[in-house]
Amino acid sequence: MTTSPSASPHNPDLWPQTLVGVGVLVVGLLLAFGALSISSEAGYGGVGPNFLPWVVSVALTVCGAWIIWEARTGGFREMEASGDWPKPDWGGFVWVSAGLLLNAALITAIGFILSCTLCYVLSVQGLRRAAGQTIANSPKTWVMDFLTGFLIAAPVFWAFTKFLAINLPGLTNTGWL
Amino acid sequence: MEIFNALMHGFALAITPVNLLWCLVGCALGTAVGVLPGIGPAVAVAMLLPITAKVEVTASMIFFAGIYYGAMYGGSTTSILLNTPGETASMVTAMEGNKMAKSGRAGAALATAAIGSFFAGTIATVIVTLFAPYVAEFAVKLGPPEYFMLMLLAFTTISAVLGKSTLRGMTALFVGLAAGCIGLDQISGQGRYTGGIPEFLDGIEIVLVAVGLFAVAEVLYAVLYEGRVVDSQNKLSRVHMSARDWKRSVPAWLRGTAIGTPFGCIPAGGTEIPTFLSYAMEKKLAKGEDQAEFGTVGAIEGVAGPEAANNATVTAALIPLLTLGIPTSNTTAILLGAFQNYGIQPGPQLFTTSAALVWTLIASLYIGNVMLLVLNLPMVGLWVKLLKIPKPQLYAGILIFATVGAYGMRQSAFDLFLLYGIGVLGVIMRRFDFPTAPVVVGMILGPLAEAQLRNAMSIGEGSAAVFFQRPMSIALIIVVLAVVILPRLAKSMSDRKLRAAAG
Repeated sequence: MTTSPSASPHNPDLWPQTLVGVGVLVVGLLLAFGALSISSEAGYGGVGPNFLPWVVSVALTVCGAWIIWEARTGGFREMEASGDWPKPDWGGFVWVSAGLLLNAALITAIGFILSCTLCYVLSVQGLRRAAGQTIANSPKTWVMDFLTGFLIAAPVFWAFTKFLAINLPGLTNTGWL
Repeated sequence: MEIFNALMHGFALAITPVNLLWCLVGCALGTAVGVLPGIGPAVAVAMLLPITAKVEVTASMIFFAGIYYGAMYGGSTTSILLNTPGETASMVTAMEGNKMAKSGRAGAALATAAIGSFFAGTIATVIVTLFAPYVAEFAVKLGPPEYFMLMLLAFTTISAVLGKSTLRGMTALFVGLAAGCIGLDQISGQGRYTGGIPEFLDGIEIVLVAVGLFAVAEVLYAVLYEGRVVDSQNKLSRVHMSARDWKRSVPAWLRGTAIGTPFGCIPAGGTEIPTFLSYAMEKKLAKGEDQAEFGTVGAIEGVAGPEAANNATVTAALIPLLTLGIPTSNTTAILLGAFQNYGIQPGPQLFTTSAALVWTLIASLYIGNVMLLVLNLPMVGLWVKLLKIPKPQLYAGILIFATVGAYGMRQSAFDLFLLYGIGVLGVIMRRFDFPTAPVVVGMILGPLAEAQLRNAMSIGEGSAAVFFQRPMSIALIIVVLAVVILPRLAKSMSDRKLRAAAG
């Protein structure tokens, strides 16, 4: 949609928005590169397995370029002014990310219950810090969070593995931990 | 009569104790999910998709439908009592509902929302019952060219017409289509975009995308941007409507249902338009002191109409899902994924090949609506307690459930890394205001649309002329063009008028 650029010519989100556009553009080009190696064998349909990949890669490349253009000419259209955005809390983000990634790395080694408890403890730390809770650091909070995490993860593990027969990794072969 | 018999047969199957229990658990879980901020019906169904490996198809579809429905009831409770609406569907409810709650009428707002939802949901279910078989009968006559055009229509409306920016909607749609390409091409069987990673040969699970984009991204977004946001909660008053409230609510429910149902039937998703239309209509129709309540102390019509429209849309959206296999929202896209897990492809044949399943599901909608009314009116106080769970613990807990959904699907730790990546993508999309529904719908519907396109081209012996030689297909092309062009034309005309008036 090409409406006239927003009132203020200065775009505080200039670089982040441009980066988003570049990201989309690069994905489009990568997909096009990948599409080169997909066969065009179309049978008598006239449209082969590489048709949709080409449509998608061309479309994304165009969208990426267009997004960059919007970012450079006053910012994304039809969007609230970005001056209202609060400053992101990167510290909290790192805690939650650590929780999720460690969970992914450890789940097969230490089992679902312990791995998810760890993910819970780290994430809740990050969220508490982001909310400015001063109690986040106290040993009591850590212990409480560990217990809470365990008390969520363990019943979830039992419910899904015992009643619904979904395979989740355990630490032992007992089926209980 | 035939329909009546089929429905009765469905009821007979739906009221077995096991199925009733699944329905009740689904409705209760759905209400909880709707009430809790940060988690919606789409992600709840997605997280629970792994159960399709074990639970029998009728039971799990009843269960998922209960979640789908229940979330709509629960969502209105949150938007009335909290100052941050839970689901997008209840944004409009929040406008008047919040004001009513602030002036001490939370109970009346909750009552009109719940009864209105019941009322609209039931009427829309009757319409599904009566019309779905006919739509299916008609849809049997459609060939691949028409199906492809219908899917193109769904893509166009969800990305280019709904939402604020066409560019960002289209980008999201193509990202979804690209994700759908990963894996084995279903016609020729060759791998696409697998990058030598064996996990990618199976394609990306819809569970991963939905849970990543909605649950993980929600948590990451909350920790990044919403840490200091303080919610204020309105006081709950007795859930009761006076005679005057009834008199004002009933016509609003009727109008809301009338607006919402057709919007659900067409392959153009979203509850935003019908709920907003209903709100605008109620505001326009209100007179005297009722109208003065809009935007000040809160008008009950402004809650009753949009809530009814919302539930009518959501229920009627089952018609395109069941008869054409075309999902029009995040949640229906994931319901389609659930059917696919059982090797069932919703579409016109569903009513003949899986008649018992379809009618049991429809019967369960009637039952579910009654259950939800009971769950949400006398027991509303119970659900409100859920709002007391502190945010850090709630969000961290959601991650545990996200792990179950993502890992349980195919027991791969690789998927958990991918889940995190998709979560980060979701945060970026949210920060820069890209809609997420086109990603999910594109990913689910993309491969189906591609297959229809290639079948259609085969019918045309390699010529695209096949799309222009069949009357239904041409008609659909015109509709697609109309939904793209007309809103823009209307906008530029009103812009010109404004400028003329200003100049």
